[in-house]
Amino acid sequence: PSSRARSLVVHIEGMTCSSCVQTIEQHIGKLNGIHVIKVSLDEKSATIVYNPKEQIPESLQEAIEDMGFDAVLGDTKPQSVPHD
Amino acid sequence: AAAAMPKHEFFVDMTCEGCLNAVSRVLNKLGGVQFEIDLPNKKVSIDSTHSVDTLLETLKKTGKNISYLGEK
Repeated sequence: PSSRARSLVVHIEGMTCSSCVQTIEQHIGKLNGIHVIKVSLDEKSATIVYNPKEQIPESLQEAIEDMGFDAVLGDTKPQSVPHD
Repeated sequence: AAAAMPKHEFFVDMTCEGCLNAVSRVLNKLGGVQFEIDLPNKKVSIDSTHSVDTLLETLKKTGKNISYLGEK
C-alpha cells in the first residue's frame, strides 16, 4: 500500500456553463484529500488528483451526484506513473 | 385535498439550465417537495412539510450561494 496520490477521471453530465464548472471545482476541491480538480465543460469530465487514504472513487462520484449532476467513473491510476 | 402547505422562498444563485437541473435533482432526491424554479430571478419556491433547515441543507448541496427569503 502506498500513499501516492491517485488521479481519476469522472464523466459528468448536466453541466451547461462555466458556472457549473466553477461550482463543482470549488465544492469538490474543498473535500478532504483532494489535491487538484480540473473540470472540463467541453469534455464533460473532471480530472481529480486525490489521496487514496482519504477518498475513494465512489465517494467522489457520490459527492458530485449529491450536487445534482450525473457522474460516471472513468480510469483511476497512480498519478506518479506516466500514461503514454 | 391536502391542507395548504407552507411555501418557502429561497434565493439560489443559478446562472444556467445546468444549475437549474442540479437544483431540481437535489430536491427530487430529498422527496416530499413541490417546487417552482424561477431562473431569471434566481428564486426557488418550495411547498413542503420539511423544515426550512432541511431545505436549506439540501439546496446547499449544490454548492451554490443560498439564502432564505421567507414564507410566501
